[in-house]
Amino acid sequence: MSEQPLLTVTIDNITLQVPAGTTILQAARKIGGEVAPPAMCYYSKLKESGGKCRTCLVEVSKGSEKDPRPLPKLVASCRTTVMDGMEVKNITSPRVLDARAGVVEFLLINHPLDCPICDQAGECHLQDLSYEHGKEGTRYEFQRRTFKKHDLGPYIQLHMTRCILCYRCVYTADQLTARREHGVLDRGDHAEIATHIEKSLENNFIGNVIDVCPVGALTDKTFRFKNRVWFLKPLNAHRDCPDCCGKVTLWNRGDEVYRVTARKDEWGEVESLEDGSAAWICNTCRFDKKKTSDWVIEGPRDINRHSVISQGHYAGKIGTTTPTEIFTAVHDGRQPKLLMDIHSVSEVNRPEIELSRIAGPSHSNDFQKGNE
Amino acid sequence: MGVQLLLEKVKVEGIRHYDVYRREGGYRSVEKALKQMSPEAIVEEVKKSGLRGRGGAGFPAGMKWSFIAKPEGVPRHLVCNADESEPGTFKDRYLMEFIPHLLIEGLIVSSYALGSNDTYIYIRGEYAWIADILETAIEEAKANGMLGKNILQSGFDCNIYVHRGAGAYICGEETALIESLEGKRGNPRIKPPFPAVQGVWMRPTVVNNVETLAAVVPIINDGGEAYAKIGVGKSTGTKLISACGNINRPGVYEIDMTISVEEFIYSDEYCGGIPNGKRLKACIPGGSSVPILPANLLLKTAKGEARLMNYESLSDGGFVSGSMMGSGGFIVLDEDQCIVKNTYTLTRFYRHESCGQCSPCREGTGWMEKILWRLENGEGKESDIDLLWDIQRRIEGNTICPLGDAAAWPVAAAIRHFRDEFEWHVREPQEARKRNYGLAHYADPIHVPVAG
Repeated sequence: MSEQPLLTVTIDNITLQVPAGTTILQAARKIGGEVAPPAMCYYSKLKESGGKCRTCLVEVSKGSEKDPRPLPKLVASCRTTVMDGMEVKNITSPRVLDARAGVVEFLLINHPLDCPICDQAGECHLQDLSYEHGKEGTRYEFQRRTFKKHDLGPYIQLHMTRCILCYRCVYTADQLTARREHGVLDRGDHAEIATHIEKSLENNFIGNVIDVCPVGALTDKTFRFKNRVWFLKPLNAHRDCPDCCGKVTLWNRGDEVYRVTARKDEWGEVESLEDGSAAWICNTCRFDKKKTSDWVIEGPRDINRHSVISQGHYAGKIGTTTPTEIFTAVHDGRQPKLLMDIHSVSEVNRPEIELSRIAGPSHSNDFQKGNE
Repeated sequence: MGVQLLLEKVKVEGIRHYDVYRREGGYRSVEKALKQMSPEAIVEEVKKSGLRGRGGAGFPAGMKWSFIAKPEGVPRHLVCNADESEPGTFKDRYLMEFIPHLLIEGLIVSSYALGSNDTYIYIRGEYAWIADILETAIEEAKANGMLGKNILQSGFDCNIYVHRGAGAYICGEETALIESLEGKRGNPRIKPPFPAVQGVWMRPTVVNNVETLAAVVPIINDGGEAYAKIGVGKSTGTKLISACGNINRPGVYEIDMTISVEEFIYSDEYCGGIPNGKRLKACIPGGSSVPILPANLLLKTAKGEARLMNYESLSDGGFVSGSMMGSGGFIVLDEDQCIVKNTYTLTRFYRHESCGQCSPCREGTGWMEKILWRLENGEGKESDIDLLWDIQRRIEGNTICPLGDAAAWPVAAAIRHFRDEFEWHVREPQEARKRNYGLAHYADPIHVPVAG
């Protein structure tokens, strides 16, 4: 096979080369940082996903080298492939930011905002999205849409009230399992994710719908109300599983395993294995193996420094790009306005110290000592 | 009456049946096309005619046909969109109910031009009896050798299947229609790929409206150039208009797109004026999703010219002072109608029909409906009007399919042109419950040219 030609694309004034067939979102993720549009429904491991939530809308200010006309509408970056010479504006376009703020508002008007009692809090994509792009108040003054809770089998609970209808779980159930038994009923704002006549989902891999859910609509019944994610310490672990790859993240408090999830990358997606397939895990690993002795522990997991989970001081490498680097590149060398640089005034949380190497809760002493 | 190409024979007794239709000169175009013309020549003829899609968007039909991909060994399909669910539009129903063979004839010729051996009519489920009429017509055509294997010894095989929808407006959107035809949930697909490349079962597909396909018959019979001579500018041929609302003679009319809107509403040949001596307040000229226009902007464009019933003239002035031809559902509102209530009704429809796939449309339509309900019932606030404007602005253009736009435009136009009436509903809630705002100044001549 001949080598595929690389296409040049400019996203927010940053130029890079990507192979043909790459979507704008994937190209932007290669740059990383704020330039990558948020994605609530797109999931690179699921075929046909994306295009629905409209949070990843970007402006194409130049279609391609051949046809330089700008596209009239904002496009969903997760489903639009890159053309040679394309110029894309994401965070530099006021139009995009306005549309995105609108989408966040739409997603939140029927969301119960019950984060204080929601198991997803702390690792919820909608929380992150509204924190970054939302408004502080709501203009919605009507009753919110509610549904009854449903149990999809013994392990999964569906809380439709929180759902943002991203269809990820539908694609997961479709593509990982043989039968089509999980889908969407009704339409419009009363549409609901459901199984056919409240059947339970009997499949060894169905637990993965919990991992793909960007909000707290699908939750692990073995973990419901047990703990907050930021009190738990994520550990990479594996076991020899006959059904799946067996590579998981254990969420421990002390020696007790509170829950088991698949390993997620910096975009909140399940990691890829060496052969490129996604590291889905089976129900046995997820729900039944809740003892530390079942697992071979590899070590603490890297957690994004900006995530609330890192407040337990287990932060590592992922997402350690400081916001200023990208910001400066995008805004023609202009520095962001920071109220203060926390590291210049604080002795704790110094970036050069590898936090995940600190055993147990950390104190200011640990930072004074350094990493020895 | 002007030129009639589609509905000329509709009043002939028994035209619904093959024998009468054939005696009146039907199926001539099939004979001509299959015996004398190549598929490419037909596409060329349709291009020459300047025929524009009659479903609402007005995209040139010949262009659409020429986009269809022709990979080796992959079947192609033609799908007829008979899922006519737009409030105020009922032209296809009339055509299919009274002269079904015209559609079948157009379908055979178009299938030959596109190389579709299996052609589908996707008809809305509510038109149950029309689906039966079409199936009878297909049986009759088949019995007389116009359908099936080797039609008229030309070597071209074609079968037409009628597929009944299950009552969703969204299935009139071409990719949702394709999904529904495949037996899936009618959610619009994300484009690209366009149906011309990957449509039904991932095969190249063309989806056309009933009226567009029926118009292929006179184009083939008389030639594309003769068709293009009818009408003005880029609005060629004739258009079916389904007129309803506060008029004396509601019904389906075939117009040649040269008459003015004023003539269409007031002449006895067409709508016959407004009943009970009422005055014209507003009009939705192209089906519920196009912007509403007040009387003064409807009859005259912002430049002061008389507005004609055609694509260009109706959209003159853009959305600031114009509207759209749309699907031809002409809804007339007299001075007793309340614009707020009318907008609420339309928004309720779009909320109910939104497929719920993408968030702006799913959540935005419901929100707009609730606000409009509040305004209509005298519980609104002044800020609600600006809020509505903001919501519609953020829905429009940000959705997968045009249903989001269709839901946003009526609200935008109502606020743009009838803001006074919305404000009156807020300031005089007691009055608003008792009576309507009335004609107010909406029919007054505009002295200052409208910007835009």
